[in-house]
Amino acid sequence: MPEGKFCNKTPITTDEQLKATLNDKGGKQYYEEMNHLEVDSEKLWGTIQKTMKSRLKTWLEICAHCGLCAEPCFLYQVNGRVPEQVPSYKIQATLGQIVKKKGKVDNAFMQMCMETAWSKCTCCNRCGHYCPHGIDMGVMFSYLRGLLYGQGFVPWELKIGAGMHRVYRAQMDVTTEDWVETCEWMAEENEDEWPGLEIPVDKVGADIMYTCNAREPKHYPEDLAEAAILFHVAGENWTVPSEGWEQTSLSMFAGDWECCKDNVANVYAAIERLKPKRATGTECGHAHRATVIEGPYWMGREDGQPPVPFLHYVEWLAEALREGKIKIDPSKRIKEPVTLQDSCNYVRNQGLKDVTREIISYLVEPGYFVEMAPCKEHNYCCGGGGGFNGIGKYREQRNMALRKKMDQILDTGCKLVIAPCHNCWDAIRDLEEEYEIGIRWTFLKPLVIKMMEVPEHLLPKDE
Amino acid sequence: MFKKILLATSGAPSTFGAARVAFDMAKRYGAEVVVLNVMGVPTKAFSHIVNDVRTGEEIEVDEEYRSWVEEELKTTFEKQIETVEYSKIVLTTGVPSREILRCAREEDADLIVMGASSGDSSVYRKGYPGSTLQKVAKAARCPVMTVHRETASYWGGFSNIVFATDFSKQAESAFRFALSSAREMGCDLTLLHALDISGKVLDQNEIEDQLIAARDRIRATYVPLMGDFKDFDIEVWEGVPYVEIVKMAREKSADLIVMAHHNHELDPEKARIGSTMEQVILRAGCPVVSVSKPDKV
Ligand code: SF4
Ligand code: SF4
Ligand code: SF4
Repeated sequence: MPEGKFCNKTPITTDEQLKATLNDKGGKQYYEEMNHLEVDSEKLWGTIQKTMKSRLKTWLEICAHCGLCAEPCFLYQVNGRVPEQVPSYKIQATLGQIVKKKGKVDNAFMQMCMETAWSKCTCCNRCGHYCPHGIDMGVMFSYLRGLLYGQGFVPWELKIGAGMHRVYRAQMDVTTEDWVETCEWMAEENEDEWPGLEIPVDKVGADIMYTCNAREPKHYPEDLAEAAILFHVAGENWTVPSEGWEQTSLSMFAGDWECCKDNVANVYAAIERLKPKRATGTECGHAHRATVIEGPYWMGREDGQPPVPFLHYVEWLAEALREGKIKIDPSKRIKEPVTLQDSCNYVRNQGLKDVTREIISYLVEPGYFVEMAPCKEHNYCCGGGGGFNGIGKYREQRNMALRKKMDQILDTGCKLVIAPCHNCWDAIRDLEEEYEIGIRWTFLKPLVIKMMEVPEHLLPKDE
Repeated sequence: MFKKILLATSGAPSTFGAARVAFDMAKRYGAEVVVLNVMGVPTKAFSHIVNDVRTGEEIEVDEEYRSWVEEELKTTFEKQIETVEYSKIVLTTGVPSREILRCAREEDADLIVMGASSGDSSVYRKGYPGSTLQKVAKAARCPVMTVHRETASYWGGFSNIVFATDFSKQAESAFRFALSSAREMGCDLTLLHALDISGKVLDQNEIEDQLIAARDRIRATYVPLMGDFKDFDIEVWEGVPYVEIVKMAREKSADLIVMAHHNHELDPEKARIGSTMEQVILRAGCPVVSVSKPDKV
C-alpha cells in the first residue's frame, strides 16, 4: 500500500478529513498504515536539492563530532547520557543519512527518523549555543521534520494540528464567527466590573493589534478578557482582527512549511488591513517564534521583520509597567520564593531575557525571586516543547523529558513558577500531575490583574 | 417565566436532585430543558483528549464515545425526558464553568440548574483552580439554581420562598426574581436580612438599633416594588449570615432560597472561603437560586 487513508503524503485540507482522522482512536489505524507507507525517494531527494540551503549542508559537513553539544541537550542528560541522544549523532544518523543516500531510504528508516525528530529533540536550540561551529540542531530538526511531513511520516496529532490550521486557520476549530462572538461575550461578561471595557474588532489605525492562541477563545476565553482588562487599564488604543487573529503555528512543529507560511500570511494580512502602529500577541512562546522570528523569512520579507513592530507580550507588559500605564500596588507584590520559566522560543530565540526580569522586578518583593540554574538563554526547555506535549505516542519520553525542569524547579525551592509561555505552562502543569512536587504555576496576566492599582475612574460607579 | 432551562449535569447521582428540579419546572412552565454534559477537561492538543469528569481518566472523545455518553444520559433521565415536551442533549468538552456559560449564552437560557458538587471533582480543578459553581454564579446572565441535596429537589407545591438580601445592587435583581417566583407560584415570601455580627463587638443596644434600621431599609427598598403582593414578612436576624439564612429557611419550611451573588474576588479559591452563598448552598435543605445580573429576572 503506497498511501493510507489517514497516513499519507497529502495534508488534511477538509473538515471531513479532519474529523475522520480525529476519530481514528489514538491514531491506531494511522500508525498501522504508516508501516506500509512507501517512501518516495525521488521526491525526497528532489526536495532536498531544492530546499536544503548551504548553511545546513555546511553544518552537516563541518560537524567535528567533538560532542560538545551532548551535555547542553537536556534530553541527553535525562536519558542516561546515551550516545543516541547526542545532538550531532541524532542529526547525522537521520538527516545526514538521508542526504548521504540521496533519499534512498526505507520505511523503517523514516520511522526511526520520525521518532528521533519528535521525541528526541524539542527544537529548543540550546545545543546550538554551545557548539563551537554554531551548529543548531533545533534548526536542523525543523528542516528534517519538513522532509518527514512531506513523506507522511509525522505523528498523528501533528498531522491533525497542521490540518486544523489549513481548515480553520487556527489550531482548533474556532471559526471567525466563534472568535468575534467570543470577543463580544468576554466584553459583556466583564463590563459590570470594568465599565467601558471593550474588545474592539477590526478597528483601523489602532496603536496596537492583538493576536492570540486559538486555545484561548476555545477553552480559556478569560485570557482574552484579561488582555482586554490590562489594555483598558493601560489606556491602550487597541484592536483584534476578525481574521488573522490566530498566531500559533502547530504546522511549524509538524513541518508543514506551506501551511506555516499561510498562517503568517494571514496575520500579516490583518496587519496590512488594519494598519496598527504596532502588534502584540498573547503570552505564547511558539506563536511568537512563528509569527515574528521565523515568519518574516517564510514570507520572504527582505528586512526579516513583520510589517509593523511586533512585540512579545512580555515586552508590551514591561513597557506598560515601566511607563506607569499599569501600576502595581506594592503591598500586593509576591512575597514568597518565586521562579521564572524562560521560554526558549522568545528568550533564546529573541533575547527577551532582561525584559522578563524587569517584569519580575515590579511584581516580586525584592529578595524573593529565585533564578533557575541555569537560566536566561541557557535555560533548559520545559520538556514539552516543539509539539512534544501534544503527542500521545511519545508521552513516556515526554514525561522523562519533564524531569530536567522538575529538578531545576526543586533546586530553587520555590513553590510558585511564573510561566508566561502557554506550552511551558502546560508542561509544568503536567509535570506536577506526573511527579506531584507540590508547585503552583501562573501566567502573567492574572497575576498582574490581581496586583495592579485600578485608577478611580475605571472602577464601577455605585460600589 | 422560564422558556429554557439549562441543566448542567455530569450524569452522576449527585446531580439527580438538580435534574428533578429542572424537569419539574420545565413541566410546570412548558419550558425546554437543555441537558448539558461537559464530557471532560481537555488535556492537550485539540480537545479530543480529555480527563473524564467522572473517573478522572484520560479518554479520547470521538464519535463512539460521544454516542455512548449520549445514550447513558438518555437512559439516566429517560423517565424525566418523557415528561417534558421539549428537551435536548448537548455534549461538549472544555472547562466546565466556561462551557456552561457558553451554552447558557448560546441557548439564551432563562435559568441554569446544577448540582453543587457536580462541578468540583478533582479533575475540574486540576490545573484550573476554582469552583465551577462560583464561576458560573458570578458570570451568568440568568439566575443559577443549585440543588445540593436530593431531598432538596422538590419543586412542586410551594409554600415559602426566602429572599436574603445584603442590600447590594445585585440583591435588587435577586429580589425581582424572588418576587416574580412567589407571584407565579402563589406562595409566601420572606424578606430576610441577616445582620452580620460575626467578629464584631457590639453591645445589645447597638445591635437593636441596627436591626431596626435594617427592617426599615427592607421596607423602604422592597415594599414599594411589591404592588398588590401581600403575602410577605420581613425578618431581620443577627448572627453569621449563612447560618441565619439556613435557619430561617428551616423555620419557614422554605422550598427555595434566593440570594445575590456579587463576589468580586478574582481568585476563586479565596471566593470560596468567604462566600455566604456557597455555605448556604452546602447547608440548606432546599434549592438555592443565586442571581448576579439583572438580565433574566
Ligand atoms: S558541538 Fe557542534 S561540532 Fe561538536 S559534535 Fe556537536 S554539532 Fe558537531
Ligand atoms: S535543540 Fe534542544 S532538544 Fe534538540 S538536540 Fe538541541 S539541545 Fe537537544
Ligand atoms: S515550551 Fe517553552 S521551554 Fe519548552 S521548548 Fe517551547 S519555549 Fe522552550
